[in-house]
Amino acid sequence: MSVQEYLMPRSLPEALDLLVRHGAELLVIAGGTVAMPLVNEGISLPERVMSLRHAGLDRLERRDGRLEIGAAATLTRLLNAPWVADVPLLAEAVRNTASWPVRNMGTVGGNLFTPPPGGDVAVALLALDAEVRLASPRGERVLPLTAFYTGFMTNALGPDELLAGITVPLAARETAFLKLGRKHANTPAVVTVAVALEREAGRVATARVALGAAGPHPMRVAGAEAALVGSPLDAATIGRAAEAATAEAQPFTDGVATEWYRRRMVGVVLRRALERLT
Amino acid sequence: MSSSIVTFTLGDREVDVMVTPMTTLQTVLRYQLGQTAVKEGCRQGGCGSCTVLVEGEPMLSCLLPVEEVAGRHVRTVETDTPTDGVSPLQQAFLDGGAFQCGYCTPGMLMTATALLERDPHPTHEAILEAMAGNVCRCTGYTPIVAAVEAAGERRG
Amino acid sequence: MSPLHVVGRSLPRSDGIGHVTGRTQYTTDHVFPGMLHLKVVRSPVHHARIRGVDLCEAERVPGFVRALTHADVPHNVYTILGLIGVEPEEEFVLAVDRVRYKGEPIVAIVAESERAALEAVARVKLDLEELPAVFDVEEALRPGAPIVTHWGNNTFMYEGHPCRRVRFGDVEAAFARADHIVEGRYDTKPIEHAPTETTAAIAVPEANGRFTVYTNTQALYFSLDNTSIILQVPGNQLHFIGGTVGGGFGGKVDVIVEPLATLAAMKTGRPVKYAFSRQEEMQVSSTRSAWRIYIKDGVMADGRLIARRVTSYADSGAYSRQTPYALTKHAANAAGPYAIPNVAIDAYCVFTNRQPTSAMRGFGITMASFAIEVQMDKIAERLGLDPWAVRFINAYHDGDMKPHRKLVEDATLIETMQAAARLVGHELPAEYLAMTSTPRPEGEA
Repeated sequence: MSVQEYLMPRSLPEALDLLVRHGAELLVIAGGTVAMPLVNEGISLPERVMSLRHAGLDRLERRDGRLEIGAAATLTRLLNAPWVADVPLLAEAVRNTASWPVRNMGTVGGNLFTPPPGGDVAVALLALDAEVRLASPRGERVLPLTAFYTGFMTNALGPDELLAGITVPLAARETAFLKLGRKHANTPAVVTVAVALEREAGRVATARVALGAAGPHPMRVAGAEAALVGSPLDAATIGRAAEAATAEAQPFTDGVATEWYRRRMVGVVLRRALERLT
Repeated sequence: MSSSIVTFTLGDREVDVMVTPMTTLQTVLRYQLGQTAVKEGCRQGGCGSCTVLVEGEPMLSCLLPVEEVAGRHVRTVETDTPTDGVSPLQQAFLDGGAFQCGYCTPGMLMTATALLERDPHPTHEAILEAMAGNVCRCTGYTPIVAAVEAAGERRG
Repeated sequence: MSPLHVVGRSLPRSDGIGHVTGRTQYTTDHVFPGMLHLKVVRSPVHHARIRGVDLCEAERVPGFVRALTHADVPHNVYTILGLIGVEPEEEFVLAVDRVRYKGEPIVAIVAESERAALEAVARVKLDLEELPAVFDVEEALRPGAPIVTHWGNNTFMYEGHPCRRVRFGDVEAAFARADHIVEGRYDTKPIEHAPTETTAAIAVPEANGRFTVYTNTQALYFSLDNTSIILQVPGNQLHFIGGTVGGGFGGKVDVIVEPLATLAAMKTGRPVKYAFSRQEEMQVSSTRSAWRIYIKDGVMADGRLIARRVTSYADSGAYSRQTPYALTKHAANAAGPYAIPNVAIDAYCVFTNRQPTSAMRGFGITMASFAIEVQMDKIAERLGLDPWAVRFINAYHDGDMKPHRKLVEDATLIETMQAAARLVGHELPAEYLAMTSTPRPEGEA
């Protein structure tokens, strides 16, 4: 059967209604940059597809000390938001994602669902303590992004839920983003690192260290964070954080890089990212 | 299977196409509207040879269901080529020999067009960043970037 | 005054205007009413016996038109270079009872739309008995290795020998009197051409009973002749139209899509398109061979090479394609552009369960150059000599005899190195600047 219906709901309630009605056979797409390659290759043969581009899920707002990012806001629109200079970590992650036309189509929400090794914007969002808003006919619930990822290609989204938006609390943080790919641009990650720190009296007070392509999903590394907190950001501290991250990472081998190389690069890339803040 | 009619503007004319659900813009442009300059290199969003402009924004037509461009303005190399002669950007490509097999050329031209419409005198770095999504297997990129730089200077 | 109008001038390419206006026509830009789409069911495993193929569910997919199996192919076996005497025939258009590489074609599905063809392909059920597989050239030559070919061993046979052989002088005697022995092992990986345009052909039945085949092959007559043999129709029944190829680099010389597209057009009476997806282009289409090259050199203290033994293994993958020819070229060049009086070369074309390898940009030679030149640097390092010196000392001259018994003509290594040194601003000693490739004086080695 070819695609029987391409649905374009005009609101979130309408989208949820269609989701409940059609269930697991419904392919949900936003920018299409992850789903369409699979459809074009004949790996995915959906009969019913729902586009989230017209359901009012693309608002971008800054208010009450938070960024409210609609799940279907494109990466380019995020990059062009008037307040993007307040979150250089996010801007840098977007700039390092895919290519200009893909950023014009791909969405912030979609980046959370990018299969490994992808999801570089998700790595930055983890380091920024982002939360996800999951909507269902029963209402909306908010989860920390750390709780959204549950395993390899699995997440906390229920069968009657859609990702409606992502919330990023604004805070004065020192941040760094570094992605190692096999090319300088338009490339899947060997390893991606996002760090966000707050310092008090010359010592690290809070630390967020997030890795991409170093595990089954974008992940925080508690050991590296603990190695940073309470210490000055000097070479010794950075070295300890890099060692901790190397040990905690669960890298994999794929067409981009081997597990061995990824594990080596976790330490190198984290060290370089932290050195930018010294 | 329910076909529908999708209407959009292609260059300077309005077109109606009858399509089965989720036919890509690439398929519609190439096989129903004769816009074969839109190439088919990967259909995965990785090569950029299918790049078209939608409301002036570069997009990958291989990943775009045609329903998503209903009522919108689409441009290709064909719509952008003057009836007489060639555009300054096309001339810059000709003068610089910025192609070998020619398969990536339409995609390169569309992305470069979008860049020059935003930034008439782009720096070398800006060109590299804007065109990172267009893959060439023949030229090594140098003559292509040089042609865009030359076109940038020309417009000044 | 020179009457040259083209040489030395910068001229616009005649196809440039077509490329920049998007008017250049490539194979799949051609549209034909009623055109069908062909997609192929491929082996999901590296090596297996085919016990059965079940088409029932595939046939029920709306838009399914027909399936082609090996039984439909009039002459189902071919070797691409068979027309120039490279034998035996061994590659199947569609697999019969065994698949030898992951991606090997088993069934061709023809359908009204690409989507229907993909869906029907997904619904074909294969009953396969997996067999042990081998992926390394030296493993493939060990006793007990899984045998890929149907003639009992994993090498292409060259006139009764399992390798291409060159014997020149006496390497063992020379090794015995050499001041230094320098050895190296050089490994290269398969390389995919990855042209921006994928491999494709469209076969169209004509009113006069002939078939016009639009193809982006790099080898139009090769493709026509092989298709004629495979389909057992006279060549004059086929009209092949090539044209602009969207990147070849040697990756579009293997006559893979034309026979099936034409056969499908014959069986359905409608135009049929067979175009590789990007995944097929990357994972199924031929690549450059992986090579493993062992070099053992006997060198005198002054840098002269007096003996070279080369043992090379090229990974042909599951079938020959152009690799046996690569080994012949390789054997003729594996000593390098150097005058070495004692040379022994054994160059093996080895079959493994990898994807078949074939032509790519100087295949057989480019990887040999890599090995030879790194080896020359190694010699320089070991002997404490300048790498330029090692090459000037050993460069061959016009009139020298090459190990495969051909006289050197138009040698230019010396002049090329002199020009290169000038370009990079490297000052060469006067004795090397004075050298030329002209024949050595009588009596000089």
